[in-house]
Amino acid sequence: MAELPGASAPPGTFARAWAKAVSGTSYLPMTHAQLEALLDRLTGELAGALLTEPFDLRAGHRVGAELVAAHIASAEGLGRTVEVIQLRLVRDLGLVAEDVEDRMARLLAAVATGYARALRDRTLDEQEAIRRAAMTARTQAERALRASEARFRHQATHDPLTGLPNRTLFTERLTAALNEPGRGAQRVGVCFLDLDRFKVVNDTLGHQVGDQLLVTVAERLCQAMNEHLVARLGGDEFVILVERTGGTDDMVAVAETALAAVRTPALVDGHELQISASIGIVERQVAGANPSDLMRAADSTLHWAKSAGGARWALYDAERNQRELARYALSAAIPAALERGEFYLDYQPLTSLRDGSLVGVEALVRWRHPELGVLRPDSFIGLAEETGLIVQLGGWVLAEACREAEAWSAGGVAAPFVSVNLAVRQVHRPGLVQEVRALLRQTGLPPERLQLEITESTMMSTAEEPVRALRVLADLGVRIAIDDFGTGYSNLAYLRDLPVTELKVAGEFVAGLRSPSVGRTDERILASLVSLAHALDLTVTAEGVETAGQAERLRAIGCDAAQGWHFGRPAPADRILARIR
Amino acid sequence: MQRPDWAPDTIDIERPSVARMYDYYLGGSHNFAADRAAAQAMVAAVPEAPLMAQANRAFLRRAVHHLTEAGVRQFLDIGSGIPTVGNVHEIAQRLDPQSRVVYVDVDPVAVAHSREILAGNERAVVVQEDLRRPEAILAHPDVRKLLDLSQPVAVMVVAVLHFVSDDDRPAELLRVLRDALAPGSYLVLSQASDDGRSEDERAEAERVYRRTDNPLWVRSRAELTALFDGFEVLDPGVVWVPQWRPDTPESAEDAERAVFLGGVGRLGG
Repeated sequence: MAELPGASAPPGTFARAWAKAVSGTSYLPMTHAQLEALLDRLTGELAGALLTEPFDLRAGHRVGAELVAAHIASAEGLGRTVEVIQLRLVRDLGLVAEDVEDRMARLLAAVATGYARALRDRTLDEQEAIRRAAMTARTQAERALRASEARFRHQATHDPLTGLPNRTLFTERLTAALNEPGRGAQRVGVCFLDLDRFKVVNDTLGHQVGDQLLVTVAERLCQAMNEHLVARLGGDEFVILVERTGGTDDMVAVAETALAAVRTPALVDGHELQISASIGIVERQVAGANPSDLMRAADSTLHWAKSAGGARWALYDAERNQRELARYALSAAIPAALERGEFYLDYQPLTSLRDGSLVGVEALVRWRHPELGVLRPDSFIGLAEETGLIVQLGGWVLAEACREAEAWSAGGVAAPFVSVNLAVRQVHRPGLVQEVRALLRQTGLPPERLQLEITESTMMSTAEEPVRALRVLADLGVRIAIDDFGTGYSNLAYLRDLPVTELKVAGEFVAGLRSPSVGRTDERILASLVSLAHALDLTVTAEGVETAGQAERLRAIGCDAAQGWHFGRPAPADRILARIR
Repeated sequence: MQRPDWAPDTIDIERPSVARMYDYYLGGSHNFAADRAAAQAMVAAVPEAPLMAQANRAFLRRAVHHLTEAGVRQFLDIGSGIPTVGNVHEIAQRLDPQSRVVYVDVDPVAVAHSREILAGNERAVVVQEDLRRPEAILAHPDVRKLLDLSQPVAVMVVAVLHFVSDDDRPAELLRVLRDALAPGSYLVLSQASDDGRSEDERAEAERVYRRTDNPLWVRSRAELTALFDGFEVLDPGVVWVPQWRPDTPESAEDAERAVFLGGVGRLGG
């Protein structure tokens, strides 16, 4: 029996030849020396198997498997192994055995079998491992994609400044609350909240402080509302969704909590800010409600709270809303009505208290509405002023008054002047002087027969331009009257600067003259106004004179002229003029 | 979970992956049909491809071995691919179990597989990142956790730079890595070269890799040497990888057939 190679001895000739044969057949994570040592050990096993009785196939299997485990794991690796064992093992080791050829064949078969089995297992394991890795990676990629989609959705549905849900999410939640099956009989509510005078904070302390204030308000609202959705719709507008309410009382409680949360002074960037909010509350049955109507209603209601002075809530009132809508519709129809010639003028006489003569007439606009009949100015002028349509309408009134008044002098008698109301917006318009000048030229109306009535509030603005325009008009000879004197701003300073011709004293002072007890005070005020006006070289016309008694007392005070039912109701021009012809 | 914006939305195993093609060259079965088809096309174009991979892998083994013996205990292996056999942590931790290894790869499947292999190994971790984002690699919490950058680190950029085009400014990428390293750190570089190759072979190889997400960008010895800027290149310099400190003289024969050039540089200080 040949000596078997020992573990520590240098690798024998055969092991070195075997190592050379398999190197390069696959990647071997070892040095060449390590490879030779490994194969030297396996050589011993093979030699043992060839010689041992009885012949044991398992040794061959083991060697095949060990080769694969050592990463000598390729088809070429097996081929070269079989080749080198067959050619050299017996010879190099000088092995002698009776049936060595037979044993060699069986040994090679066992090595190949063990090798193939191990390689197959290894291949399957690796395939499984890489498929598992691909699956894991896919799961992670999908999860990451979902997370990024969720993040994207969060960004799309939240306000970056405050982190609150934004309009999109709020609308979704409101819509969901309204569409939830079986909820028709239940009630839902929203509080539409807007900070009062927030713009002042931004303008005076800067946007950063403003932004921080919004963040503070957002936090407080969230804290105060905990279970209700609080969203920021933009700017300083927030909204609270109450998905289930028991009635308006619940919503009022929510609104008061929100107002209290906002009311606490906020310390922002070293500034203690005292802020308040206004809230519009809408509360209604789920059935029949839709998100856009509900939010529109909340918006109008918020404006009611604002126009009532802010720092309060207002509750939606369907009738009030209806009135406002009708008013809005009316104002929107003004341009078309002007085009169709639905407006006309009535005139109310201004009568001299000295001799009863007709000194002037005030032009009053009327709307012959095709469905609603004749409308008085109080039903459409206010909104025309808010929407700016007053400029167009007022321009028409002025032009029409000038056109009609020019004709009145045809009779040869001293014709009355025509007094036309100017809205604040008209006075503040840059083109006013040119407009009046052009009208006077076109109609031929003498300037002194035109009186422009402005209110005290027109002069509240510190702008110089209107004052300059009025002065130019006065220089042309146009009369300037202050309407409703004594009820508005009552800062007398403007009387110094303005080229005023006349004061029209508000009807409420005149009304007092009817009852002797209250009338005393009013009479004294009137008397003072008259003497003040006369001292400034102005004439005084009293408005709203309804009785002969009032007229008599006004005459006694020294009032120059009067206007009111006692002297004649507004009527078409020809009827007024008939009095003086 | 953070999802890097450059990571793919889905895993498409119908598209060949360079990591799995490399595994195929090494005789592994961690690959799919598409990978094998592409790898076989590569072998048809450049018959040495499997040899290249083996030679490169052996270069990696010898480099890690030498660096461990030189005292390095921290390894940052960027572009580590599919962990088949002879991974850095196996070599380094066999010599010193305290050695710490961070693998970085851009291929999510390679990363998932590495994660499974490394489960339970507290001193080795894999990070999904891109060599083209060295700042992100250096800032990655797992890198920060496992590696102490005040101590020498061996940065391995082995068989991956040929997937970085000049437009991605490889010198700049390596400079960012270099600037983060302590004196005594090492850079191990290897990449495919077209030195001594025909125009046809190069064109064919490039065509194969255009099917993958990582087109091939071969470089000359001069270009690769220049990338060691700031490092002192150890003997024998930038050479065909079998020539880098071979185990036996015979294993360095026909070295240019290995297509890969490689070298190791030391950061002085």
